[in-house]
Amino acid sequence: MAAVLMSALAVSSAAQTSLQAETKPAVDGSRVIKIDDAGLTDVLKAKDKPRVVNFWATWCAPCIEEFPDLVKVDNEYKGKIDVVTVSLDSIDDINTIVPDFLKRMKAEMPAFLLVSEDESALISSIQKDWGGGLPFTVIYGADGGQVYFREGKFKPVELRAEIDKVLAPRAGK
Amino acid sequence: MKRTSILFTAFFALAAVFVMSPKIGHAGGLEIGTTVESFTLPDLNGENKTLNDLKGKKGTVVVWLSAQCPVVKLYNDRINEIAEELAAKGINFVGINSNATESLDWVKSNATEVGYKFPVLIDKGNVLADKFGAMVTPEVYYFDSNNVLLYHGAIDNDRSGKNVQLNYLRDASASALGGKTIATTRANAFGCTIKRTEKQ
Repeated sequence: MAAVLMSALAVSSAAQTSLQAETKPAVDGSRVIKIDDAGLTDVLKAKDKPRVVNFWATWCAPCIEEFPDLVKVDNEYKGKIDVVTVSLDSIDDINTIVPDFLKRMKAEMPAFLLVSEDESALISSIQKDWGGGLPFTVIYGADGGQVYFREGKFKPVELRAEIDKVLAPRAGK
Repeated sequence: MKRTSILFTAFFALAAVFVMSPKIGHAGGLEIGTTVESFTLPDLNGENKTLNDLKGKKGTVVVWLSAQCPVVKLYNDRINEIAEELAAKGINFVGINSNATESLDWVKSNATEVGYKFPVLIDKGNVLADKFGAMVTPEVYYFDSNNVLLYHGAIDNDRSGKNVQLNYLRDASASALGGKTIATTRANAFGCTIKRTEKQ
């Protein structure tokens, strides 16, 4: 009986660990987590801090060009905001060129790769004015409200100004 | 004065004639129901072509392409397949390349390699892309025979082509040809941003 219980607990614990491994964000760019549409909804949610979400792909030249600036922003605002990246690369690239690129960039932010059931619907749900072009960067305030978005390469000065703006009301807290 | 002169030169050099009043829809670009008048752009051999010359008896699909975009590469076979399928129904495809980063030679060799089954026109200075509000490749605009926009956006809902569940363009054309209401007239999709000429 005890053996059966122990066995059940072990299975339960293993399942839980597996679930945590699935949902826990990567601590650095060395691991890229696959997410579906529902997973993306969670990724887009601010967790008590403003959140910058960058949609990109290794095949997208402007994404590659702006990435070093995104890494700089992540380092500069560490602890004040969360920066996460969502790759639109093929699932076949999740253990190869995507993490390889993130490593080269010394990216430490949580990294996800989106496999969507319906990309068109998803795009509209994130921002109705998003034409589908990459890169796409969006800022959510700590309350979860979208405060800024940009389709195409962001201007670092503008992105920092927007982040400062969303952080300003929290400065006195 | 000099700037005005440059603007006029650019205008005539492009030989693009637009007499339309574009309405910007909620997600950018032409609004569904907008009528566009014919435009003129050079093909890959430098010969000017107009929309009215190229359009089909039942309508036209204008598709923005790129020689380097991986998403376009994933779609090329499907684009050709749909182009052939719709041509048989009186709807012609017209390809447009507005990317400032892609040379004519490159676009030409790519078109030959892919074997596009429709003409590809060069939109130097992204004039047509700006007029239409085209942002990514591939992106399609489907017009009826009177050049009224019926559908704008993605070809289908899956870049890879492995799990296509929503055939936006095919469904839109089937509905229009069947005299039915088009269920989805607008659908965005991930693609490569059109590399526009930097304006002075």
